[in-house]
Amino acid sequence: MSFDPIPYDLLDAFKHFLSVFGSTMLIAIIVCFIVGVLTRGLKGVADVFSGILDFFVQMIHVSCRRVWSLSVLTIREALRQKILFVFIIFAVLFMFAGWFLAGAADRPDLQVQSYIDFVLKAISWLVIPIMLLLACWSLPEDIRLRTIHTVVTKPVYRIEIVMGRMLGFTLLGTAILVVMGGVGYIWINRQVPESAQYKLVSKVPVYGAISFTDREGASTAAGINVGDIWMYRSYIEGATKARAVYKFKGIDESDAINDKLVLQSSFEAFRTHKGNMGAGGILYQFIFVNDDKNLRVPSRPLINKEYSDNVLEINRKLKDDNAEGGTGAELDIFTDLVDKEGNLTVEVQCLEAGQLLGMARPDLFIRTPDHAFLSGYSKAVFGIWLPMVIVIMLGVTISCFVKGPVAILTTLTIVMVGFMSKEYMNELLSGQMQAAGAIEAWYRLITHMNSQTALPDGPVKVIIGIVDGGIINFLWLCQQIIPNFGIYSNMREYVIKGFDVSWDAALLPGIITAAAYILPCLIVSFYSLKLRELEAK
Amino acid sequence: MNKLTSKHRKLAYVMAIIVLLIPVIWLGMPSTGEEGSGGELAQLRVQHELGESTLGDVDPSSASMNFVLLGLRGIATNLLWMDANDYQKKKEWAKLRSTVDSIILLQPHYMKVWDFQGWNLAYNVSAEWDAVEDRYFWVKEGIKFLNEGVTRNERYPELDWKVGNLHGQKVGRSDEWRQFRNFYKVDPDAERYEGGPDPEINPERLDNYQVAKEKFLIANEKELKHKQHLQMRMLFRASPWHAQFDYANAMQREGKFGKQRTDAWAQGFKDWTTIFGREEFITPKGPIVLEWTEDDIKNLAGRDENITEADVRHWTNRYQDTSNYRFWRTRALSESETETIDAHKAIYDGEQLFRSGKFDEAKVQLEKGMALYALVLNKYPSLLSEDLAIEEGLQAVILWRYIHDLKGLQVPASFPLKPLWNKEQGRVPELENDLRRRYGIQ
Repeated sequence: MSFDPIPYDLLDAFKHFLSVFGSTMLIAIIVCFIVGVLTRGLKGVADVFSGILDFFVQMIHVSCRRVWSLSVLTIREALRQKILFVFIIFAVLFMFAGWFLAGAADRPDLQVQSYIDFVLKAISWLVIPIMLLLACWSLPEDIRLRTIHTVVTKPVYRIEIVMGRMLGFTLLGTAILVVMGGVGYIWINRQVPESAQYKLVSKVPVYGAISFTDREGASTAAGINVGDIWMYRSYIEGATKARAVYKFKGIDESDAINDKLVLQSSFEAFRTHKGNMGAGGILYQFIFVNDDKNLRVPSRPLINKEYSDNVLEINRKLKDDNAEGGTGAELDIFTDLVDKEGNLTVEVQCLEAGQLLGMARPDLFIRTPDHAFLSGYSKAVFGIWLPMVIVIMLGVTISCFVKGPVAILTTLTIVMVGFMSKEYMNELLSGQMQAAGAIEAWYRLITHMNSQTALPDGPVKVIIGIVDGGIINFLWLCQQIIPNFGIYSNMREYVIKGFDVSWDAALLPGIITAAAYILPCLIVSFYSLKLRELEAK
Repeated sequence: MNKLTSKHRKLAYVMAIIVLLIPVIWLGMPSTGEEGSGGELAQLRVQHELGESTLGDVDPSSASMNFVLLGLRGIATNLLWMDANDYQKKKEWAKLRSTVDSIILLQPHYMKVWDFQGWNLAYNVSAEWDAVEDRYFWVKEGIKFLNEGVTRNERYPELDWKVGNLHGQKVGRSDEWRQFRNFYKVDPDAERYEGGPDPEINPERLDNYQVAKEKFLIANEKELKHKQHLQMRMLFRASPWHAQFDYANAMQREGKFGKQRTDAWAQGFKDWTTIFGREEFITPKGPIVLEWTEDDIKNLAGRDENITEADVRHWTNRYQDTSNYRFWRTRALSESETETIDAHKAIYDGEQLFRSGKFDEAKVQLEKGMALYALVLNKYPSLLSEDLAIEEGLQAVILWRYIHDLKGLQVPASFPLKPLWNKEQGRVPELENDLRRRYGIQ
């Protein structure tokens, strides 16, 4: 697995939202007051107050009936624009998908991943751009053609116009998504051969915390780095005291499948010599440790099959047959090996001298009873619905203050940056990526100065520092405002790899992120529409 | 101001369209498939073999993909290459494979893409997997990928050569060559292939080197029509015959010293001297043949008054050196002799006995093998110019000396391969390391 499902910190997210949203609002209000005072004097202050109040008044008086009517109008308008033609493209894609996906046909297990990936990507690449175009184009077009007059002349609040649009497009998008998701589900089930149907499940893993010991048995921050360019896994040396220690919290009988504890691992091997080539993998074993009772119970030696699911089912009753001090007594995993705090500690040991076994936190988990494939799949489709809603909100909001083509370009830019460059921005701003500022890089390029040489002191350095600082601050602002669409792509990864989509590591952050845009979008669109002369072309 | 009425303007537009259509049709009319049909561009395309169908099989999905992307093919390809690199880094093999397929849809006639990605799958991706069965699977993927490239690009002899090289060198010379060569005939996916080979790789259940030879022969055939840019022409064309030698040698490495192996060497000698040796290669001083007679020299020199017999001899000699022609000729000849077979067999048996811990018997066999091998080297001294021949003798001596060490015996002052041992001391440390790894000697 290439993703690390880290639980979402809701409180931290909320604090962050409050700080960004609160400070932005504060700055906006201060600017409004200053402009108000400068242009209208004290009356300006009163106007700003009444303007702020107006939003709350309209919000309180929002009528669900009116919003619903506007939503229905929005849907009708979209249908008249032949939105449902998208299904033709969808059908064509699925009819010919087999041509493009026959690559790993010899490995049905790998092929399943390609099918799921294709279906989810196809749906999101069709639905999101179309909803983006509709959301951005609709309001400016109504203003241009003055059809908006038929609405604004009725007793309707501006905020209701915005909400109606957002709700209408969301309902339409949801309907399209449900149909496509359903067809995609049937397609996957029909396409996956009988021999690989077992891969269509939603595994429910319980992950633990990982720590390491070195070859002498002392605690260490990480294992050995074997020089892999992807530093995702850390390695332990075989036939030494080096261990990876996994601590699983809150393990009890409900986590057993048919009275068995199921451990699933996907470690990576690194050989320093050929070793036994016929075995099919490196030997390793698990050791269940309960320090409270001074117990160390090893499993039988296991063969690590790389890039496959290595599943070990252990009867809950097992013998304490540790060669070093085992009593031979029968033990129960859930009563004897889980410690007083409910933790199950599992050590991983590589058994072959000169060979190394690499692992990361998600590489070992306790597999609890599986959910149906539909469970994970529907959550992944929900993971397309959420960014679609964000795109609709952004599109409608932006179209409230600019014309259609500009709104499309702006929203598209935000979506593309959110999908493709958010990680890059995060790395750049967090200092993980060592990079010079844009102007400094440009200066070094034209003066043929390498990145190790310090810039010469003087006004040039000062100017570059100031300008680059401004750019970085702007980038920081973009990072705060642009939604991280990457979290929604991650949901797809879960299903592709046969897992149920995690609630606290994927669904919750997805929902919270989408929810965080509702209020800012409503505020911005309300004031944009309020201040805009709808008669203007 | 324009004084034309709307009707006149429209008529003028129609006329202009018709006038412009004439050169467009003349230039761009598509070919009906018959020779000489189609517009000027279609005919030029046929003339210079630039048409999609003249390059190889047309994949409709590839053609439609390129059409749909309009001018964005380059950008899409770049993005896909970046994705492929990322997937490889993160060991997402299924995604890598499907991304590579997508790249190929966009660049079906770019030889380097097939070459690089075929090699990448067979060598790099294969090496990332731990189980030998899995590694073999990815070698097969590389071969299948390149096979696809060959059917889509009929004008690149390089691709056929690469396919031959994967069948030959990758399967037969990897660290896992023993297992790979077995899997080549009995695929590890027994359930799928019912105890036989993967029919896409080895439909006729041949040895990997025999298949390699077939592929190299196809490459040679194409090379007569389409120039290759891989290596010196003479070396390129020697590949099928080297595959034949490798086939014979592989049997020897596996301890098969029967008629099949001797016949393979005899066939190798025949191919080498009567086909490859008789082929004319162009040198700066005219054509030469590697297997020559005095008459050949006279004939070749007589074709051009500026070339002397000494020139022909000089360049023949140089080309023989470059292709190691004389060595392989002698080797193939010597391998048909009983003395040589016995020498190889005794050394091989000695190594196997050593492996199973029967040191006394191993010592006897090694001594016998060394004595016979010394006779072979005396008879064919040119064998001493090739690494494989030298190493076989040195390995026998190293094991034989090691047995003396183990038994606490004094190594005799004189032994059969002593001149070779003394002369090639520089190679000994590396060979000792190699043997340590192979036999687990501490």
